[in-house]
Amino acid sequence: MRFVFDNHPVDFQPGDSILIALLRAGLHPTTGGCLCLAGDCPHCLATVDGISYTRTCRTTARAGMVVERHPKDGLPKLPPATQAPPVDVRHVHCDVAVIGNAELPAEGRRVVTLDSKSGQDVIGIYAGPLVVARTAEGMLHVHPKEIVVATGAIELQPVAPGNHLAGICTARAAEKLKAAGVNLGRTVTITEAPLRFEGTGSVTAVVTREGRVECDTVIVDLGRTPRNGLARMAAGLPVRAVGDAAREPQIPACPQAGVVCPCSGVTVDDLKSVWDRGFHELELVKRATLAGTGPCQGAVCVPHIRSFLADRGGKLQPSFAARPVAFQPIMHEAAAGAYHHPTARTALDAEHRRAGAHMERSAGWWRPWTYADPLQEYWAVREGVSICDIGTLGKFLLDGPDAVELLDRLYPTHVATLKPGRARYTLLLNERGYVIDDGMICRESETRFFLTFTSAGSTHAELWIRDWADAWKLDVRLLNRTVALGAINVTGPLATALLRDAGLAHPPRYLEHKIARVGDIACRIARLSFTGEVSYELHHNAGDSVSLWRTLLALGAKPHGLETLLRLRLEKGHIVAGQDTDFDSTPRRLNHEWAVKLDKPDFVGKAALLRTNQLPLDRQLVALETKGEPPGEGAVLWNGKDYAGYVTSSAWSPALEKSIMLGWLRFFNGSLPEEVMVAGKTARRAATPLYDPEGRRARA
Amino acid sequence: MNEFVERKIALTWRAPKRAYDVVIVGGGGHGLATAYYLATRHGITNVAVLERNYIGSGNSGRNTTIIRANYGIPEAVRFYQRSVDLYASLESETGRGIMHRQKGLLWLAHSEAGVRAERARAEVNVAFGTKTEFVDPDQVKRICPQIDITGGGLWPVAGGTYHPEGSTARHDRVVWAFAEGAMRQGVDIQQGIRVHSLRVEGDRVTGVETDQGPISAGVVLSAAGGHVTTLVSTAGVRLPIRTHPLQAFVTNHYALEFPIIVASATLLFYASQTARGEMLMGAEIDRQPSYSYRSSHDFLQHCAFRAMTLLPFLRNLRILRQWTGVCDMSPDYSPIMGKTGIDGLLITTGWGTWGFKAIPAAGEQLAQLIATGATPELIAPFSLDRFARDRTMADRGSAGTH
Repeated sequence: MRFVFDNHPVDFQPGDSILIALLRAGLHPTTGGCLCLAGDCPHCLATVDGISYTRTCRTTARAGMVVERHPKDGLPKLPPATQAPPVDVRHVHCDVAVIGNAELPAEGRRVVTLDSKSGQDVIGIYAGPLVVARTAEGMLHVHPKEIVVATGAIELQPVAPGNHLAGICTARAAEKLKAAGVNLGRTVTITEAPLRFEGTGSVTAVVTREGRVECDTVIVDLGRTPRNGLARMAAGLPVRAVGDAAREPQIPACPQAGVVCPCSGVTVDDLKSVWDRGFHELELVKRATLAGTGPCQGAVCVPHIRSFLADRGGKLQPSFAARPVAFQPIMHEAAAGAYHHPTARTALDAEHRRAGAHMERSAGWWRPWTYADPLQEYWAVREGVSICDIGTLGKFLLDGPDAVELLDRLYPTHVATLKPGRARYTLLLNERGYVIDDGMICRESETRFFLTFTSAGSTHAELWIRDWADAWKLDVRLLNRTVALGAINVTGPLATALLRDAGLAHPPRYLEHKIARVGDIACRIARLSFTGEVSYELHHNAGDSVSLWRTLLALGAKPHGLETLLRLRLEKGHIVAGQDTDFDSTPRRLNHEWAVKLDKPDFVGKAALLRTNQLPLDRQLVALETKGEPPGEGAVLWNGKDYAGYVTSSAWSPALEKSIMLGWLRFFNGSLPEEVMVAGKTARRAATPLYDPEGRRARA
Repeated sequence: MNEFVERKIALTWRAPKRAYDVVIVGGGGHGLATAYYLATRHGITNVAVLERNYIGSGNSGRNTTIIRANYGIPEAVRFYQRSVDLYASLESETGRGIMHRQKGLLWLAHSEAGVRAERARAEVNVAFGTKTEFVDPDQVKRICPQIDITGGGLWPVAGGTYHPEGSTARHDRVVWAFAEGAMRQGVDIQQGIRVHSLRVEGDRVTGVETDQGPISAGVVLSAAGGHVTTLVSTAGVRLPIRTHPLQAFVTNHYALEFPIIVASATLLFYASQTARGEMLMGAEIDRQPSYSYRSSHDFLQHCAFRAMTLLPFLRNLRILRQWTGVCDMSPDYSPIMGKTGIDGLLITTGWGTWGFKAIPAAGEQLAQLIATGATPELIAPFSLDRFARDRTMADRGSAGTH
């Protein structure tokens, strides 16, 4: 059996690691350095099947593998983009997770052992606790109650000139190599820090205080330091180290010369240099040299650097933690089990797509932007009848003896005075008096309300209502019906006639709502208006959406998308919370003081409004109009040479035959400029609504 | 020669005194830069910087080193552009290498609303002298061919902005360049000293209490990030700051073949390649407020996943290290700099996820405030009293990730 190493075939025996096979063939995956065969050092890293920084000592050779040396000068290239199926992730729950090799009496507890010798490479311990391991079958997420770290000890590496040569290994590595039949030639074992290694490419001799010995392999037996990185990573979690991992570290002799950190190429001279220039803390020395920040994450160098700093500073400084520890996953492995938050679809999604709609992501939903010709969609609303999927609206049922009290405390508008069957627009304010959303209140009975919020704001609105209900200890129940209910807006001068054709003999009047059938589908019909024309929102069980949509289409309604809806509402000067509002939009800044009843005893934000209403205004949301093409949303407004604000919404108005905008305009000397420049053109302030200022059409 | 070993900067540690004209709490980039500009621009050198751990041990040594000025409101654009300009000349001014690299920054949008936000960003940037242009998906692909503009078929790139002055610099070297420059002028920088409260007489701050005894001062500047809340509360000052963890990770080292900074506000990640060749990625702040530096696997998992969606070559890169910093978040996503209502007590906080890029400008401006007693025009909009005056600096352009 063979794999390929830098274009040459290499024979291996079953069970061989790549490293063993290479060494047996007289090859080396790198240029040298003291091999540990334990996954601690960086001296066997190579690119295996396109994945660099792979530990060849821990990778079992397989036929057909492609192994490449990292470039001698420089770094591995960034790999090309490739596709691969997601990595599986398996969750295991247990009482104890043992990492490494420890005999633990089970005593009725469920024990899971994660041992790299059996192919479970632990990446890290996280809060939970959660132990993440890589296995041949995928990723393993172990959720234990406690963790035992039995990861043994790391053999100390030699720091001396020549320690980069091939032909150096640790004592335990030598045993493994011998057992695998690797010819080590003449060996010499050293048990004290060497003065230097000699040779070109490979070791030919080692010099210690006792003299010079010629050899082919130097076996280094300089002591051990606990492999306790996982335990240190898990400070504060129920983790205990046992065995060698729990021992006090052996601190090597202060290094005198040579490379200390092979990953970053840091020498003892470099350590001296930064020490002499005032870098004395282990962290500062690490940062000033980058020692300990390479692939082995300090496993080789940290004991020597601590020794160096203790020698100069007189005290032993604690080691730093590595994350992940030793076994580094590729990003594809780390991502196992991750997901994108879905973009929601209304019950009518397939209908829109089948009709060829251009779909856009908006507020976490897929929405039809336009079906074909937005101007045709526009005129269908203004002159005929059109339908729009508004199922993305936040829809809630609120019921309970304290429902009125909750809403009157929460909303800046009057709620108690709203009669059953009536509907009212409301802002939602935070404690700072800033608008966070808006929507409609439909009162059903003394205790029951149907509430809507914007598509983008409804998730937050639900939390907001529940938090306040809890805080005030009010007796209410809130049911989120956003996805359970579909909603279709029927709008246009012919909307009432269309609904009559659909069997609705007595549609609700303006700002009223009722439960009735449209076709054979039970709907909550709310007569509101965002478009400026007669509008009926039909809220219904989402399972009936397709049938209702098709019924309305069959009766002659044309659909319109979000682009048209936004254009229609802009002609009416209706704001879109989140698009036209900012984090600090008070009702006064939005010209929405009419929606705030400061004569109410209290509501969320009232105290802030009473205070900020006394302050001079700095800017307001205004309507603007200009000739020609609409300036881009976000376009800057100029008052002469002064920045005056920016456009939040902008569209061509077919009815008014000019471009219309909403935008934030700054005050100059206490007043708003009548004219500003935008996109190189003059724009004039306009009164809202721009279209049908008396609102006759919506009430018709 | 290993270019990553610091070979120029020399730090001189002196024994502390019991009294200074100015005491700066926090030896991160902001505190040290303020000391540096106090000494070099205003000749004020009887200054101490008190650091509880080692210099740069907080967010100055944990951030993802991005420098940019493409903010969303005029006041922020002007302020950060000042920082971009100061960073660009910091190497020549200090004679110290900070590995400043102008890389260009691509900020990607994946929805109609995202495109609208990026168009608005470009408009306000250009209006205030920052070079940012709106780019369509084809231009995105030309600027960074490694981006999969189909977003893995799930999150197609709908457009974005390109900010050519987007840069990176080595964070530690910025910290040390300011520290050394201040030390050379006589500023005392103390490590391992913990300030636990303020000394106040009447309406005036008179010094600090430390674990090594009191130190008196005419002016105290808290530059201790999110810890400012507990410190100034000892003088009765309340701050609208919440501290949230922010995580990041790097891969192992690869050839320098990714010369740009890429960010996606929708997928909430950003990526760049460090001078040593690590691919560096981060995401948004953790939702739960905390001062904890503990890293989570959930972050690693999802940040890696989202980054791979747009940059599929990342799939086979081996992860080297993950870490965590903490961000002092203000309600309007803008910093809070300057006076507090207590004479002599100044703060610099609310640096959220954008503290590193502000270090030189904030240091320069606060030094001017300390030297003159008057708040400079460039940072006046970021005063603490803006919340009481209903003049928040709501900045969607900064409410991102880095």
